[in-house]
Amino acid sequence: MFRNQYDTDVTVWSPEGRLLQVEYAMESVKQGSACVGLRSNTYAVLGAIKRSVSELSSHQKKILEIDDHIAMGIAGLTADARSLAKYMRNECLNHKYVYGSPLPPHLLMADLADKHQRCTQTYVRRPYGVGLLVIGMDARKQTPRLYQTCPSGNLYEFYASAIGARSQSARTYLEKHYESFEEASKDDLILHALQALVGCVSGDDELTKENGSIAIVGKDEKLTLLEGEALQPYLDRLELAAPEEEEEEGKDDDEGDDEVEAMET
Amino acid sequence: MAPFRTQHQTNRNAAGGPSLPMMPPIIHSSEGPVMAKADTIDHGVTEAPYERGFSPYDFNGGTTLAIAGPDYAVVAADTRLSSGYEILSRNVSKLHALTDGCVLGSAGCKTDVDQLRSVLDIKQKIYHHNHRKQMSTPSVAQMLGNTLYYKRFFPYYAFNVLGGVDAEGKGAVYSYDAIGSFERTGYSATGSGQAYIIPLLDNVIGHKNRADENRDLPAEEVVEIVKDAFVTAGERDIYTGDAVEIMVITKDGIQTTTFDLKRD
Repeated sequence: MFRNQYDTDVTVWSPEGRLLQVEYAMESVKQGSACVGLRSNTYAVLGAIKRSVSELSSHQKKILEIDDHIAMGIAGLTADARSLAKYMRNECLNHKYVYGSPLPPHLLMADLADKHQRCTQTYVRRPYGVGLLVIGMDARKQTPRLYQTCPSGNLYEFYASAIGARSQSARTYLEKHYESFEEASKDDLILHALQALVGCVSGDDELTKENGSIAIVGKDEKLTLLEGEALQPYLDRLELAAPEEEEEEGKDDDEGDDEVEAMET
Repeated sequence: MAPFRTQHQTNRNAAGGPSLPMMPPIIHSSEGPVMAKADTIDHGVTEAPYERGFSPYDFNGGTTLAIAGPDYAVVAADTRLSSGYEILSRNVSKLHALTDGCVLGSAGCKTDVDQLRSVLDIKQKIYHHNHRKQMSTPSVAQMLGNTLYYKRFFPYYAFNVLGGVDAEGKGAVYSYDAIGSFERTGYSATGSGQAYIIPLLDNVIGHKNRADENRDLPAEEVVEIVKDAFVTAGERDIYTGDAVEIMVITKDGIQTTTFDLKRD
């Protein structure tokens, strides 16, 4: 009820005990197109729908490589995400140089969460307007991990998660199927990721090899990015299942403002 | 006054000033300790000179070579690590794949070689992040030259040879000196055994001073020549031996084999 009076500065509390600027930053994440992440015992997969501003433009990259064993999916302000990616890549290179081994993802994520938090407690900066889904392999224990950060600086670990516009559809799908992920094969995980994304496309669009994007990390396997032609075999296997999903699409149009396209993807 | 008490004796009186003239220092030579002549100002160094100071470099030995073919490159190096007359290890690799298409072979001071590799790996990774593709071999060659020159006045004690396939799939070999001067060549050898190997390659690969017809050699034949070259170098060079690691680079990737040498 006091939203307008206490929302100009990130260092001002509202009477309800909320930091409204941080919450507004989290709205930005919901404007970006969908990104999903899931993991099994041996692999972690990221999937994303790449948005393009017009027919003439390219599709905005949603998945960024951080190192051979870490990848990041983004939703929200792309420029903020790129700045964070640059920082994370540097941290990975530094760690490799100093300690001779790949940076364990949980250390990187803790550092990243702190970086987010710092911007919520000072006058001169604004919160990062991007949500991140990060997959990584823990080199020592050889287990895949999935983490999520948001502008508030909170850090979560998930078996499966989705962020961005119309991501509730993906979350519902993941909740239904997550028990089968643990023992799933690599291909099955990729299919689950794509199937979850099918429900997140806007309006008449469909998931195609141009706007889909997948990243996989696994035990003893370097990070692989699947885009374009490499996606087609998986999309073909999905096509067979598409008719069932189309019924659910209409129900899940709860978020996603298609008009606001300026900065976010 | 016992001459063996201290090296430099200053005898001070109660007030803190010297009460007797300073005794000349003891020189330790191969004939035993002896007092230096009192009238020298160099503390006896010229009478029994010995090396002072600290060298930041050590030579850990070894030989590397690289040969370019029409659609492949062969890079090879022995696996012996030595210091002085001692062998530190018979099984240390001098080859390092920087990308899927090129391999760096380095002999010299091992710690400088390791550091150079770390630096190149980081630069290569940053390039990969920014350009979203691997560096081509000519680009790696340029980067290595620049990286070496960056330390022009405290060089990496690393003698490098870079072998790989270029963007068109043709074999490429680049030879370097320690401060970054480089050139694309058909073949190259560097390290302690280079003087034994280069003349051999001049004749067999460069086809110099031969009467028979020049022909393109397939990768398998070149590998056999490489083995012969290392056997030759290992025969006379004490720092070369134990085993040879041979990498064949084609557009399809890198294959590694090992060949044993004499361990003497």
